[in-house]
Amino acid sequence: MKQSAVDAVIRGLKRAGVSLVCYLPDSLFKELYPALDADPDIRTVRVTNEGEGAAICGGVFLSGKRAALVMENSGLRASVEPLARMGLGAGIPVVMLMSYRGETGENNWWAIPHGITMEPVLDALRIPYQVVRDEEKIERAIVDAYSWSYAAYYHSAVALGGEVVR
Amino acid sequence: MKRFDCMKALAGRLKDELVILSLGGSVDEWYNAAPHMREASLFQQQLGCVTAQAFGLSMGLPHRRVVSLDTDGGMLFNLGILATLGNEQPKNLFVVVWDNECYQSIGGPPTHTAFGRVDLAAIARGAGIEQAYTVRDLDDFDAHCARGLAAAAPYVIVAKVSGTVQPGIRRKHSDGREDKYIFVRHVEASEGIVIMGPSEHN
Repeated sequence: MKQSAVDAVIRGLKRAGVSLVCYLPDSLFKELYPALDADPDIRTVRVTNEGEGAAICGGVFLSGKRAALVMENSGLRASVEPLARMGLGAGIPVVMLMSYRGETGENNWWAIPHGITMEPVLDALRIPYQVVRDEEKIERAIVDAYSWSYAAYYHSAVALGGEVVR
Repeated sequence: MKRFDCMKALAGRLKDELVILSLGGSVDEWYNAAPHMREASLFQQQLGCVTAQAFGLSMGLPHRRVVSLDTDGGMLFNLGILATLGNEQPKNLFVVVWDNECYQSIGGPPTHTAFGRVDLAAIARGAGIEQAYTVRDLDDFDAHCARGLAAAAPYVIVAKVSGTVQPGIRRKHSDGREDKYIFVRHVEASEGIVIMGPSEHN
């Protein structure tokens, strides 16, 4: 990611009131994670899998603070069980920011499953999302995801693809 | 050692804490063992999320003691949370794992702790949680609760309890959605904050 895209993500998170980020690092957001770690206004928590991160974010919601789950889109699959239980069973929202591995242009065979499954899995869980491939739209997309999730008390997602991450 | 007796002992020590608990028979037992904590308890129906959610809550409210009432099945579902707690060292999180060595709510088939090899407290210590103990009698449990509720580091009790559920207790009627509203309104009132506020327009 370019520094300007990293800055846009952090601006969006701050505008949305996020003070805590759970992440499991990936390569497309490589530059984002240390920037989050270094930001004095955001606490980061490294998790062992993204489902654990989703559950931690759910707990943060219950405290009145705002959290984000940042990950590669493969982490969505690891998060489906806690997302379904928290979102559909209790109305506890998690806002996710994920890198779009496996979209057209992908040149790693192992990433193809991520591209094929991400949008159908989001649709299966009825999670609204935006795919952002234009740096100018990152900040607004993140803010809008929080507005929606704090009205619906349900999950939402922003996937960053295209030139934003490559 | 009966889980219900342990719950009553723990409940007697709780006042301003917040509790997140797991599924199965422990839900109705906690509902009856700690009636004064009903609004301060979030009843979840999921494996592998309880201690993670409690950790999230504890980070958001660092001045408040948070209690996670997890289970052997739930903890085995996501052992990674122990490593996260080992690294993060929350100062206000007390974890009790009700280890009845079975999936009680579906009739009692054994979990991995039933065969004498898997030791959840040892796993927790190996993950960096220095204060993690297996307890087998009520006095010991109560003493660890006193220490765990006052600790300034993560504290884990693995309570070896029988696989029976307290007979004749009242069932909780609310679902996960209602439970969340009750819990959130309690956090709002006790913290003087707004979590789920009004819409912009009527």
